[in-house]
Amino acid sequence: MSHEEHADHGHLYRFIFGLLCVFTAVSWLADECKEYIPGVWLLPIIVLGVAVMKALCVLLIFMHIKFERAWKYVLLAPTTILAIGLPLALLPDVGVHYYHMDVPQDPISDQAFEDLEPTSDAGHSSH
Amino acid sequence: MSHSGTVAAQPPVKMGLAIPNSKLCMWLFLGTEIMFFTAFIGTYLVLRLGSPGWPSDVADTHINVRAGGVNTFVLIFSSYLVVLAHESMLKHQFQKAWKLMCAVLFFGVVFLGIKSMEYKGKFDHDIVPGHIAENDAQALQKLVNEFSKSRDAMTNALITDDPKSEKKLSPAQKLVGLPQLISSESDTTKKDALKALGELRDATAQLKEGVRKDTLVLHTGTDHEVNPDITTKLEKFRTNEHTARYFTAHDPHPMVYGNVFASVYFLMTGFHAIHVIVGMILWIFPILRGAKLDASYTDWVENSGLYWHFVDLVWIFLFPLIYIVEFGSHAV
Repeated sequence: MSHEEHADHGHLYRFIFGLLCVFTAVSWLADECKEYIPGVWLLPIIVLGVAVMKALCVLLIFMHIKFERAWKYVLLAPTTILAIGLPLALLPDVGVHYYHMDVPQDPISDQAFEDLEPTSDAGHSSH
Repeated sequence: MSHSGTVAAQPPVKMGLAIPNSKLCMWLFLGTEIMFFTAFIGTYLVLRLGSPGWPSDVADTHINVRAGGVNTFVLIFSSYLVVLAHESMLKHQFQKAWKLMCAVLFFGVVFLGIKSMEYKGKFDHDIVPGHIAENDAQALQKLVNEFSKSRDAMTNALITDDPKSEKKLSPAQKLVGLPQLISSESDTTKKDALKALGELRDATAQLKEGVRKDTLVLHTGTDHEVNPDITTKLEKFRTNEHTARYFTAHDPHPMVYGNVFASVYFLMTGFHAIHVIVGMILWIFPILRGAKLDASYTDWVENSGLYWHFVDLVWIFLFPLIYIVEFGSHAV
């Protein structure tokens, strides 16, 4: 935003700051009450959803992206695509283990593989 | 230039974007920073999802959610102060902007102070990459190593080499003559210290023998408590007035994937802390202008502000991912 286009955003900044504090409190509250939150995935969905909302507040208002012109798309789109691409590229090998591990790294995963494949050699031959 | 002799109308040349070059450069830099941190965060997520049993219990990791929450608020508040400082610069209220930037710098120090306390907690519990036992056997081996190191440190402190002899003795060689030293020592305090050293030597030998013969177990009973023989020894040498200062053994606490956890924890929070320090350095320049701060620093404040907000943005994701979520810890 150029200096000439500048408008007083004092109220908006105060509102966004309040919103960020509320979001932080929600994250903290979710952590405090995690015993009552069912399932494994609901807590991460809540806190990461809150984090995305907070990030949008900072990016759009504090970093003025909302008020900037179209150059923001040219600049941010490639970085965003590349940034998402890296975890996706790593996911099959490191995150999903689409192949069977003959040398499990720890007793827990060893047990987990036994739980997964009671007839141990069934998955072996197919990979 | 035209071959037919008439001058064709040329569109006016428009150079660059309608923003200051410094701001464009800062945004380009932030683009690379986004990829830099997403690489870390993405790798962490992928590692965590692929590691069943990833440590997430606070009793294991010594993660302090309250400290992380306070630091989140500190960064958010400092970000708010930054936008106010930029507003003040635009309104030519330079002294107000100066005070606000000083406050931002102060909150940067507060953030790093809280982070240092968290790091100290990690070091105190030896949650450091390469130091964490991942199963019972490694935990017992580490315990023996730490007992041996403490014994050697105490031996070297209490039993010095003969100044007349050029031969340097190893701690094991020095300990051979321990019974004679105890009996010949007239100073009661030193005699007690040497006796305590003897007890530490014996305890170390017992543990070493237990590990060698595979008779020492880390956990006993159905409630998975640490072997009382080990806890008694630890407590004894930690509280003994003569051994306490040399005794550095930690409670044995095997943690599956603990080393990878510690690596990514220090990598992500460490790089983030470095960014906070760089941001603080950026604020020092306009602050040093003092009463001479003027409109020429408006772009500087805006660009430094963009950088500071980005640092805040990274923390917004690090806080839930490192301090709160537990996914992946029980999944395959």
